[in-house]
Amino acid sequence: MAGIRDTVGKDKRRLPHVSRRSLLVGATAAGGLAIAWSLWPRDYSPNLTAAPDEHVFNAFLKIGDDGHISAIVPQCEMGQGVTTLLPQIMADELGADWRTIAVETAPISPLYTNTLVVDEDSAIFTPRSGVPDFVQDVRGWVRCEWAVRHAVMLTANSSSVRMFEAPCRDAAAQARALLMMAAARRWDADWEACDTQDGFVILGAKKLRFAEVAAAAALLEPPAEPVYRASSADPLYGKELTRLDLPAKVDGSANYAGDIRLPDMVFAAIRQGPVGATRLKSIDRKAGMKSPGLLHIVEHERWLATVARNWWAANRALDRFAPVFETEGAPVSSDRIDKALKSALKADAFRIRSEGDVGEAMAGRTKVAAEYAVAPALHAPIETRTATAAPDGAKLRVWVATQAPAQCRDAIARATGLAPAAVTLFPMMAGGSFDACLDHNVAVQAAIIALQIKRPVQLAWSRAEEIMRVPPRAPARAKLTATLNAAGGIDALVTRIAVPSTNHEVRDRLFDNSPPDVAQRASAGKPDAASVEGAANGYAIPHLAVDHCPADIGLPTARWRGNADSYTAFFTESFVDEMAARAGTDALSYRMAMLGNAPLLARCLLTATSLGGWEGGLSGTAQGLACHSMRRSHIALMATARQSDKGLQVEQLVAVVDAGRLVNPAIARQQVEGGLIFGLAAAVGATTDYEGGLATARKFGQLGLPRLSQTPQILIEFVDSDRDPGGLGEIGVPVVAPAIANALFAATGRRIRRLPLSAHPL
Amino acid sequence: MTRFSVNDRPVEYRMDPETPLLWALRDASNLTGTKYGCGTGECGACTVDIDGEAIRSCLVTIAECEGRFVTTIEALSRDRSHPVQQAWVAEQVPQCGFCQSGMIMAAAALLRTNSNPTDAEIDAAITNICRCGTYPRIRGAIRRAGRVLRGEERIAAAPPPGIRPEDAARAVPAMRKPPGS
Repeated sequence: MAGIRDTVGKDKRRLPHVSRRSLLVGATAAGGLAIAWSLWPRDYSPNLTAAPDEHVFNAFLKIGDDGHISAIVPQCEMGQGVTTLLPQIMADELGADWRTIAVETAPISPLYTNTLVVDEDSAIFTPRSGVPDFVQDVRGWVRCEWAVRHAVMLTANSSSVRMFEAPCRDAAAQARALLMMAAARRWDADWEACDTQDGFVILGAKKLRFAEVAAAAALLEPPAEPVYRASSADPLYGKELTRLDLPAKVDGSANYAGDIRLPDMVFAAIRQGPVGATRLKSIDRKAGMKSPGLLHIVEHERWLATVARNWWAANRALDRFAPVFETEGAPVSSDRIDKALKSALKADAFRIRSEGDVGEAMAGRTKVAAEYAVAPALHAPIETRTATAAPDGAKLRVWVATQAPAQCRDAIARATGLAPAAVTLFPMMAGGSFDACLDHNVAVQAAIIALQIKRPVQLAWSRAEEIMRVPPRAPARAKLTATLNAAGGIDALVTRIAVPSTNHEVRDRLFDNSPPDVAQRASAGKPDAASVEGAANGYAIPHLAVDHCPADIGLPTARWRGNADSYTAFFTESFVDEMAARAGTDALSYRMAMLGNAPLLARCLLTATSLGGWEGGLSGTAQGLACHSMRRSHIALMATARQSDKGLQVEQLVAVVDAGRLVNPAIARQQVEGGLIFGLAAAVGATTDYEGGLATARKFGQLGLPRLSQTPQILIEFVDSDRDPGGLGEIGVPVVAPAIANALFAATGRRIRRLPLSAHPL
Repeated sequence: MTRFSVNDRPVEYRMDPETPLLWALRDASNLTGTKYGCGTGECGACTVDIDGEAIRSCLVTIAECEGRFVTTIEALSRDRSHPVQQAWVAEQVPQCGFCQSGMIMAAAALLRTNSNPTDAEIDAAITNICRCGTYPRIRGAIRRAGRVLRGEERIAAAPPPGIRPEDAARAVPAMRKPPGS
């Protein structure tokens, strides 16, 4: 391995032209981050460990003397199939036999930084409007440098394939070149005349297994530029390969953080009290200490943990301690949240997007307006927040599912006073997540408990803690105001959205380890472009404005599968439908008239309506449409839904998706199915009220999540495309609620402007 | 008394008799394939087979299990050969996988008494919650497992665990016997 220059994973983007002046501006804008840029290390070596018979080729690949190929995956497997998709890309470029592929989770390293999410986030966070390009470029570049230095290995924003396809392909091309070079030396031939296929290097009739040349190959110097494999007659890319994680997921052997078992390990349960600036005030020690099976208690400023030989005994002891909490300030309640949203909607706003001139276009014209509201949305993964921690001399080992491993490790280090290097993190598969694993509280708590009781401990949050204490996706309220042209089409549209500044909160929690209530207060009132992302996207409207009205709701909020698009699409697609009905125009042709600049989205819409048998949206048809673009993917959905004595019945969902090139169409279909079901859950439930700082829902059954019997017929078509891959994890989510709401309007003539749809009228 | 049979082995749990079976299985027997999701019988992630019936193991105490036969996902088959396991892989059902042990145990219990269930019977038997959205594949996978049970179809989708390196080398040309073996 020594002497190999690693060219993989390095940020290949050109450095923007930096003048002295722009650097100064950039430095100021980035809060001084740029000052040290010349001192930062420019090259990183892979920090993989290898068995004696394994050879490290680069940060993404190891090959064994027996022929096994270990693909290193730097993303959290949350069900999205990333531990199959990235290996599939590598196996294809390598010319490997799929049956030889093994998967390893990446260690924390700057080589795996998700610069794409950082880039997209920067662009959203500091909108380009009003900022000179060169300043923007320097800012973006500084942010990326900072992210690399801090190994920001985020799993988020449907970015796994979008971010890692190129580095994985390059890594495989590099390893392939080395294998061919080693084989060519044996044959005394030109390596560039060789090829690879099914795990062999081949040259004419000559063949050598990768296994036979791996040891020699790993010591060679790779070519400076990747040399890609010519297209194969039977490529692995694009094949519906069976997911590698499935066998372990049907016999109970797949391990999550709660399945770790260590010698002498004990089990902890926790109670954290109401949301907000909450302190543990008192406990009934006398009653609590008598709890059967209780081994230890750990009292923290903000929580109480009990430890026993099994989790149930620990959790039962919590009741006997009857912890009392004290919360500063007014407690969070649904009433207070609604009031904060309503008043923010009327107050001053930040204009995030502006096209044309809405002021002039609307002056003196008749305006049409509608208000919409969405409730907080819970992640509610089946796996509650869980972590296992074990002291190891002066070090600490932690097993947890995390979407930001370096930040999780740093949070543990900061809370325990250990150096980050003394904390070894084992990233586990997540039992759902949906962005809940961007929250590291459980890992920090497990670490604190383990160090205090000096033995391995597994902490699992109860379902009630999970509902109460994982910050939900923000609730929001919107007012859409339009003026129409002579044909009833939208000439000008102002979308005002009252919603907390969630992304500031998420950053403060993730990078500064702020407690949720502190991050919430610090972020209140800040402009957050990401919190209104996706509003009115795709439509050609001559005069358009999107405003963010920051709402201080007192409830900490978080990222969630689909993020802001999950409500902005509901606002836009419901409003467009209302305008179509008002104009007496078919909802399909009304949309098509505005999709002149979005041909890919328009094609999805036409295909979905022809597949689903669109009947023109006449009242009584029970059919509704919605379309949306996000993460470089496009979707159109046709829903058939009606109200019956049994409540809301969603009968059918027909979706057409353009997500570019598909690495594995079977996994792509799973992701869109999953997104639609997740969107369906948000349309009918997945929420709670709040009272006295506490969620009123405590049990899973109170969340109104759909079950098998409520699952509609689902038909999904993908558009054939050679485009670079778009995101698939979230694209199914945002369209479901508006398509159902529009279908219900067609069926009943009643417009529901609130999510969940089952809630009382606005 | 807390003596009963788990995966065909006699067990006596020296735990509080009121302990729900789930925690005896997970924390005392280390049978971690059975998952905790809610503790109130609503999600079904902890479903196990007790005397042939699919039961939420968080709702039954170890005292109530006295003398009964409990089977968990680990012993549904020794080698993933149960038709439901094979159908689950063939139809690519699991995503995150966390709820799937419970789903599979519920499906296996249904098919044991009824190898050709209707949609309504499937819906009534599978009340487990899945957040990833595996629902659209579950009816199809259960019907397919039913066809296998009725002898109308065979599936070999999930390999058995613990394949020996020598056997792998025999089956896959790109592999070779580990040097020194």
